[in-house]
Amino acid sequence: MKSRNLIPYLQAAPLAIVLFLFLAAPLALVLVVSVFRNKLFVGLVPAFTFENYFSILTNAVNYQLYLSTLKFTVIVLAVTMVLGFWIAYFLVFHVRSLLIAIGLFLVCTVPFWTSNIIRMISWKPLLGREGLVNTALINSGVIDQPILWLLFSDFTVVLSYVHLFTLFMIVPIFNSMARIDKSLVEAAVDAGASRWKVIWNVIVPLCKTGIGLGSVFVVTLVMSDFFVVAVMSGGLSGSVSSGVFFDLGILNYPRAAANSIVLLAIVVLIAAGILRVVDVRKELTG
Amino acid sequence: MVHSGVVSLQGVTKSFGSLTAVDDIDLTIDGGSYCCLLGPSGCGKTTILRMIAGHETPTSGEIQISGVSVLGQTPVQRGTAMMFQSYALFPHLTVLDNVAFRLKMQGMAKRERRAKAHETLEKVQLNHLAERMPAQLSGGQQQRVALARAVITNPQVLLLDEPLSALDEFLRLQMRGELRRMQRELGITFIHVTHTQLEAIAVADLVVVMDDGHIVQASAPEDVYARPTSAYVARFMGGQNVLRGVVQSVVGPTVTLRSDQGQIFEVDSAQISAAAGDIVHLSIRRDHTELEKSDAVPTQPNHVVGKVIAIEYQGTYVKVTLDAPDNREFVSHVPDDKYLAQRVDVGDQVVVSWRAADVHILADDHRKSESGPDLELAS
Repeated sequence: MKSRNLIPYLQAAPLAIVLFLFLAAPLALVLVVSVFRNKLFVGLVPAFTFENYFSILTNAVNYQLYLSTLKFTVIVLAVTMVLGFWIAYFLVFHVRSLLIAIGLFLVCTVPFWTSNIIRMISWKPLLGREGLVNTALINSGVIDQPILWLLFSDFTVVLSYVHLFTLFMIVPIFNSMARIDKSLVEAAVDAGASRWKVIWNVIVPLCKTGIGLGSVFVVTLVMSDFFVVAVMSGGLSGSVSSGVFFDLGILNYPRAAANSIVLLAIVVLIAAGILRVVDVRKELTG
Repeated sequence: MVHSGVVSLQGVTKSFGSLTAVDDIDLTIDGGSYCCLLGPSGCGKTTILRMIAGHETPTSGEIQISGVSVLGQTPVQRGTAMMFQSYALFPHLTVLDNVAFRLKMQGMAKRERRAKAHETLEKVQLNHLAERMPAQLSGGQQQRVALARAVITNPQVLLLDEPLSALDEFLRLQMRGELRRMQRELGITFIHVTHTQLEAIAVADLVVVMDDGHIVQASAPEDVYARPTSAYVARFMGGQNVLRGVVQSVVGPTVTLRSDQGQIFEVDSAQISAAAGDIVHLSIRRDHTELEKSDAVPTQPNHVVGKVIAIEYQGTYVKVTLDAPDNREFVSHVPDDKYLAQRVDVGDQVVVSWRAADVHILADDHRKSESGPDLELAS
């Protein structure tokens, strides 16, 4: 009788252990460190102080970083949402053969066959001062001077984000779109809906969960990034995580931890907001 | 002036690649009538429906509604509305918004279209569920919502694709009555696709029996059931025994046939202009037969003898199946009081006989003698 009661706990144990070791424990550690004090040349001093949070919330540079991160998030979210929706729409409703659809879907994942760094660096020969785009534009006489903002600017950062993260939008939208009963589209056409009205009144509402899930992916990825923004802006832009990264560089662990906690809270709030709008459970349980 | 709602198909063919789903069909359905397209799955009946609805384009041929060619028109321009097999209710909209969907597409204001949707829901007695989501409804309720959604704009023609197939037996009987009532109330043309014979003859004014992309018989339900024109229709509709014989002689009003097993059948010559040697198929209704337990082989014509192989009690009658003369089952329906008076058991030798007047000739399968008296027919 007793051993039978244990079985459900044993079944849940592997996941619980993984979540504890790799999520709960590190998070608790960060939380603890965030209230420690940092002493120059000494390092961490155990304490219970909010001065790290105070330092972050009163720092004008930090607000700038948050604003910049939010700006990138909003722009990238909008672009990947539009791209992701139309690519998924094309794959589901316009490619007749399933085999071709799967083939095209795989093509979308091709960029992920190389590392992040190679994907970013490969923009340089294309967008640099003497890159393909500038050379072509100068040679064809459209411009006299190379366009400098093509590389190492906010534009390049957004471009890289879109390049890296659109797939995370395509996959969940494709997933929910592929489950739409085609007879619903036919019923809407039968009721007099034009193509746009079908998309707006039937397909978009039924893809809401996929769009929501994709948004959560993109938001968390963009908001936690410091690498792409550092490399692709040439050091001109920063993100909240670059602030954390900087603090780590000067060994100010408590402030880095406090900043991480604030960022985490904001990301969780945004994700919770998205999940409030769409019921993701529907997507997971089918 | 052609009556509104008349649907007419002329030489309509539809091919999918090398497969011909519908082959050169001519059909006229009167305005305001209830038509059933009946046939086994894959016979092309749904393709015809979808071509009338405008969801499929014929490979060749002409489709007219109310005397106007509708090829190339949208469903709304055609004045048709379709009820889909699985109802295709929008899962993200309430019952009310589902019903109002057509009006929304027309650009009607929210308040107006919701009022109209309430009115239509009233007709199917579902107003109390207006705020529910489709997933919270039973199958029968979903079906009525789909019906309300289709008729809200008063289409000229309502197309129903196997509307009752997703329901259980009890609901099916109830809903088919409701469909018929709705059709009478609205006075519009209903075209209803089904593979259930009893459903078709119960509701339709015109039953169109199809086989393999062709129409094999299109007539009133009582004709399709009681006076089929071919062995295919007789067997498909059920309720009939099909027999085959070669004409021996034509004497006065009597045509005498002989089956392959040597049985003699007599038929009224008014039904047929036959000559000796012709091959004739005939049908006898199961309930127009007389069953008797007997070992003797009678001398008079119009009977079969055989062993009882199955007995099924059906309430008002008893279905008795014999092993048949040409290796097909021969079935006699015996009224239950008669059966109880003279029971038979499986294995009993019985004689089933019928009156010559009750024999029906399957005219389409009549083969003249020049093709040879021993020609084996594919059926």
